[in-house]
Amino acid sequence: MRYPKRIGLLATAVMLVATTVVACGGDEGTNASAPKAPADIPALTNDPLTLSFIWFDWPPAKALEAFANAEYTKQRSNVTIKVNVVPNANWHDAMFTQFAARKTDFDIPILDSQHIGEAVTNGNILDITDFVKKNIEVDAYNPYLLAAYGQFPQAETGQRDENASLYGLPLLGDTWTMIYRKDLIGETPPATWDEMIAAAQKCQTENPGVSGLAFHQANGSDAAAVTYNTVNGVYGGNLWDSKSRKIEGVINDAAGQEAMDVLVNKMKPLTAAGSGNWFIDEVNAAVAQGKACIAFNWIAASGGLLDPEQSTLGKTREEILGKLGFATLPKQKTDLVPLGGMGMHVSAYSSPEKQAEALNFMKWFEQADVQKKWAAAGGVPARTDALQSPEFLNAGPFNKVYADSVSRMRDMWNVPEYARLIDIENTNVNAALNGAKDPKTALNDIAKEQQAVLDSAGKKGGGGL
Amino acid sequence: MSDPVSLTDHPVREASSTPPAPGRSRHLSDRWLTVAFISPALLLLLAMSVFPLLWALYLSFTDYSATRGGPATFVWFENFTAILTSAQVHMRAFTTLLYVVGAVTLQTVLGFSIAYLISRRVRGRGVLTTLFLVPMMLSPVVVGLFWRFMLDAQFGVINSMLGSLGLGQVEWLTKQNTALISLIVVDTWQWTPFIMLIALAGLTAVPKYLYEAASIDRASEWFRFRTITLPLVWPLLLIAVLFRAIEAFRLFDLVYILTSGGPGVSTETLSFHVYKVAFLGFNTGTASAYGILMVLIVIVLAQLYMRYLNKLKED
Repeated sequence: MRYPKRIGLLATAVMLVATTVVACGGDEGTNASAPKAPADIPALTNDPLTLSFIWFDWPPAKALEAFANAEYTKQRSNVTIKVNVVPNANWHDAMFTQFAARKTDFDIPILDSQHIGEAVTNGNILDITDFVKKNIEVDAYNPYLLAAYGQFPQAETGQRDENASLYGLPLLGDTWTMIYRKDLIGETPPATWDEMIAAAQKCQTENPGVSGLAFHQANGSDAAAVTYNTVNGVYGGNLWDSKSRKIEGVINDAAGQEAMDVLVNKMKPLTAAGSGNWFIDEVNAAVAQGKACIAFNWIAASGGLLDPEQSTLGKTREEILGKLGFATLPKQKTDLVPLGGMGMHVSAYSSPEKQAEALNFMKWFEQADVQKKWAAAGGVPARTDALQSPEFLNAGPFNKVYADSVSRMRDMWNVPEYARLIDIENTNVNAALNGAKDPKTALNDIAKEQQAVLDSAGKKGGGGL
Repeated sequence: MSDPVSLTDHPVREASSTPPAPGRSRHLSDRWLTVAFISPALLLLLAMSVFPLLWALYLSFTDYSATRGGPATFVWFENFTAILTSAQVHMRAFTTLLYVVGAVTLQTVLGFSIAYLISRRVRGRGVLTTLFLVPMMLSPVVVGLFWRFMLDAQFGVINSMLGSLGLGQVEWLTKQNTALISLIVVDTWQWTPFIMLIALAGLTAVPKYLYEAASIDRASEWFRFRTITLPLVWPLLLIAVLFRAIEAFRLFDLVYILTSGGPGVSTETLSFHVYKVAFLGFNTGTASAYGILMVLIVIVLAQLYMRYLNKLKED
């Protein structure tokens, strides 16, 4: 009897078609531009609501959840704040795979400043320009910080385009601090990059078992790339010409080559053996265990260094501070420092109630008194009044470093191709630092490969290799 | 008593003509029951395996990007051509080949040696086998994480041991010549038990009388191993090698945890590269074509290998 066999085949075909329809039905990605948020915050719900963030796993994420649940809920008692965290290396993937599915389990993605271009061109986050105009005191911010964490297209260093659209607001400011051993190299921090290298060399020679330098060199995330970009900036180099979208011949010009030479041939020999895969935690561990004379790390990740339970440098915070100093980065040909930190944005795929709550949270968070409380709770605010407040400056020894660094910041490329550009730079700098490529070849490869990525934007087929 | 031959000749026809049991609906024949029971599994298979494969095949001929969205434009074989002619892909293919050959060879030699030694031991064989199987039961991520700590150049136990022997520090995970070796060693630590288990099954199945006959002929240990043990275990061992080679070919987790593909891209395998193409640039079409090509390579090589195995069996 063939009838049931036919039915079976038919059922299989129907199931396959149904699966295809279900799978394809959710693809609403034909419109690749960011939807607009309303200028006024829509009516908020009084039902219990959980407002979810997504960030990577580090101390500020815990601080934000605790702070927001303690303070925001005083006004909105029906709201619970949840900061979901993923490992740093998965941060971009965790957000953008959900964006790709056009469904997110978070309402406020905390994007690195360089992720904005990709999210905006894909239509993943709301355009909040009108909302900001109506609800946020833009004059209260250093214009570059407001631009860096929210504007697209990218702001030039230190400038904000008043006519550009905004897609986010500052959540956490950050930059690198130089951490130095006052008991080993003296109370006064080195003023220039050359002096810093000389001091590290002397300290390493005089203190066996302690390495001169500790900095980010890892292959994952943006670790090694930020290190090179910092040295590149200090030695007068540029990452690209944003107007002509030119990288070849810019990053690998004479200044860029000098920066790579300094990094690989002068700084790397002063680091510990096997430190070629170090990132934030490893650098902090080396400092806390007294194994480094001078180290560079993000300010927002430096709080643990003062915890006596995590340090061998002292039994009290004061004792540790007697040995550790925090300073702005040394200058050389320029005084540029890397822009860190992140902004908060609103997922385009969140429900209307949660989008309204997210906008309300952002308005609340950017108020002067809340920014000062955030500073006291361990956050790094972006408002100028909060940056200059005693609440912020007295909250940690590195906070003054941040306040002094704001005018010196430089960011990377904020373009949709960011993830590939950073991977190319990261792997090549890591290769140069670990002897897998000679420095000049590595820099030329960065220039060539990154230029190919920018030039192939919009090319059909074979992209991404 | 019915004729058993006639039953086995037409089992389906006999079963379908059986009237429904009392209490069962008249329309619910055995055939329908079969379909009803198979459907959930079939649906799951279609949704989770067949559909994604067909969808990936379709995407591999397009320039689709999961994040950029929009319609998928057909680029036909452009993705495949770009992958097959890319120097970046060739580099990863060579790394993967080195890794597969190194890891599978080491695992086969060690696995067979351990199995041979265990098979000769009468007491405690079960306990020893179980102990040797422990690494295989662990998650590769867990294995990667604790080996990462053990291989740390500054604080790791391996360098500490080397130091106590008066040997210098080795940068296991950050130097080009040691990073791939470290990956092979860690994979070997975890998967040698798999080869050992299969080899042990083969060794246990060798008939005792062959060894007894060889003993009567006063054959040497090496002669017995060469002419009895190895030829009889060899086909089973080759199947284990096939399984391990396929697994090693798609290595991702250990690379991700231990080296992130570094230093530079010197330990990036094909799977790790596909991950980057798929999730860093979200070039979904290219990544699909890359994945399809990897599946095709495995299928073709496995088929050639199976032919060799069949030939071996016939001989």
